Amino acid sequence: MSRDAILARIRTARPPATALPDIHALPFVQYDDRYAAFAGLIANLGGQALQLAENQTIRQAVAAHFPAHGRLVDLTQAGHEEADSPHAWHDVDVAIVPGQLAVAENAAVWVSTPGNRYRSLYFLTQKLVLVVPRAQLVDTMRDAYRHIRIEEHGFGCFISGSSRTADIEQSLVMGAHGAMAALVLFV
Amino acid sequence: MKDDSVNHARAARDFLQDHAHASWHDSAIWWVRHKRDVQAAQLPEWEGLRELARQIKAHTLSHLDVYLQEFEAKARANGVMVHWAADAAEHNRIVHGILAAHSVKKLVKSKSMLTEECGLNPYLETRGIEVIDTDLGERIVQLRHEAPSHIVMPAIHLKKEQIGELFQRELGTAAGNNDPTYLTHAARTNLREHFLSADAGLTGVNFAIAETGAVVVCTNEGNADLGAALPPLHIASMGLEKVIPKLEHLSVFTRLLARSAIGSPTTTYTSHFERARPGGEMHIVIVDNGRSDILGRADFYESLRCIRCGACMNTCPVYRRSSGFSYSYIIPGPIGSTLGPSRDIKKHASMAFACTTCGSCNNVCPVKIPLADQLVAQRARAFDAGAMAKGKKGGVLALRTLLGHPKLFELAGGAMRKIVPILPERLNSAIPYSRPGRELPTMPAQSFKQWWQQNRKKP
Repeated sequence: MSRDAILARIRTARPPATALPDIHALPFVQYDDRYAAFAGLIANLGGQALQLAENQTIRQAVAAHFPAHGRLVDLTQAGHEEADSPHAWHDVDVAIVPGQLAVAENAAVWVSTPGNRYRSLYFLTQKLVLVVPRAQLVDTMRDAYRHIRIEEHGFGCFISGSSRTADIEQSLVMGAHGAMAALVLFV
Repeated sequence: MKDDSVNHARAARDFLQDHAHASWHDSAIWWVRHKRDVQAAQLPEWEGLRELARQIKAHTLSHLDVYLQEFEAKARANGVMVHWAADAAEHNRIVHGILAAHSVKKLVKSKSMLTEECGLNPYLETRGIEVIDTDLGERIVQLRHEAPSHIVMPAIHLKKEQIGELFQRELGTAAGNNDPTYLTHAARTNLREHFLSADAGLTGVNFAIAETGAVVVCTNEGNADLGAALPPLHIASMGLEKVIPKLEHLSVFTRLLARSAIGSPTTTYTSHFERARPGGEMHIVIVDNGRSDILGRADFYESLRCIRCGACMNTCPVYRRSSGFSYSYIIPGPIGSTLGPSRDIKKHASMAFACTTCGSCNNVCPVKIPLADQLVAQRARAFDAGAMAKGKKGGVLALRTLLGHPKLFELAGGAMRKIVPILPERLNSAIPYSRPGRELPTMPAQSFKQWWQQNRKKP
């Protein structure tokens, strides 16, 4: 067992104790219009933000945004379909999933589902729709982490726009492995 | 695997032979540094954030045993199996043991410099396990049987024509089509099949949270998430310096990481893995492999604050003009040039000299590691270990003798002022100091000391 030997070496080697800083003492950036900040950023990150119009359903907004699509899974609807294995979502074209909160500074949306289910769906779907309550739009990651502590279900993820890569000559390409397009729908 | 016998100066000279390519490499990486500056300028609290990050990491390192034990206990309570590895060999043995117990034939991996450091891929491959690197850049270098040349942009040394040729051969893409979008989507299609048929997924770890026992992995591609969500087995390998005390501390590090690394406000995916997926199993391997030695060295332990963003190499004038393959250690650039020599000063001594001491790395490092200072200290170790190149060592010894003997110094100065002006042109043009901007200056008639004695005002 290397555990005890490693810990013993660390105890001998560790530098003199220093204090843990209070991360709340430093003022972080605030936005006059969080929605505008979020929407402006995500447009450069392979995504789009929309405010659900009055008298418009989520499905109508999605249909308008992605007119012709293949298999659609909508986790915001009661009685939606389930999968026997995480692989079963492999041919999903559009996934509509609830997001718990959104962050203005980096256009990220926190997703986490009770029971740690549907994880693979977020990443297998070709187009990802995140549905977030407008009231849950915060300034920075510090505000976000204040909220998500209680909402962890064994897995949670901040998703900001589309899957992307610049590994070939620094050319930005959307759709490396995960969603090729992202839509954040504020309700 | 990386050739760890390269000498930086010699390899850099070879790299610079292709001037057009070297110049492209320099400007492509400088562009990333520029994007980092744009992001940093948008946050009024940027410098305060760096200071917070430094303090959190410094505190954690000074209580590292406490936080590792807290992390381990929380992870175990979450049903995660935690393993400890003293060195690379034990890490590889543990990972192979877990894979063998599950009869794993195919492993999908996301980017992990730790597994590069440990040589995990060849270890598993010789034991019959197919290993698929899934980060696009890592996949490219894996197919070319190369090591990554940058820790964030593994294939930055390649032009798209070379990748087009590679994909034509390996993935059957159309000849002559070097369009990055086309090539990326071809790799996507190919790797999807691997994700769906893999028996296990291995990820690195960006941050491990003592408070909750979760590990956090940041990617832009989503490959770590597919690799951890689909197969029933997820192994996360982490260096023991990755632990941070609380979940809220991520609000400092996730704000710095992608801005520093690629000039983006965040990575696409910041995933928090706390428990295995339903029906799955999750393992974490905590690796020492020399880190506890570095922790005990007053001059160098601060390098353990590193969050592997790569900003130091993007800003480094030497890295940009010599490429990652000129460095003998698996991690290149300023951070690699302290970590490598810390591991083995004899093998990696030349890296300590791959530095102009301009200090730009110190200024961009999000956790404020005094990298340039550490490189100077590594040079001293190279000298003491007898690992300095002969010519350099001779020069240092000569200078030491001169500076230690004032009379000799005056004598040598006088001789130099007489000899340099009458040096034959041929000799003068064959030394590095004949290059534009580096010519020897015109020799003055007298030394400063002589001038001072003649001109100072008598009290």
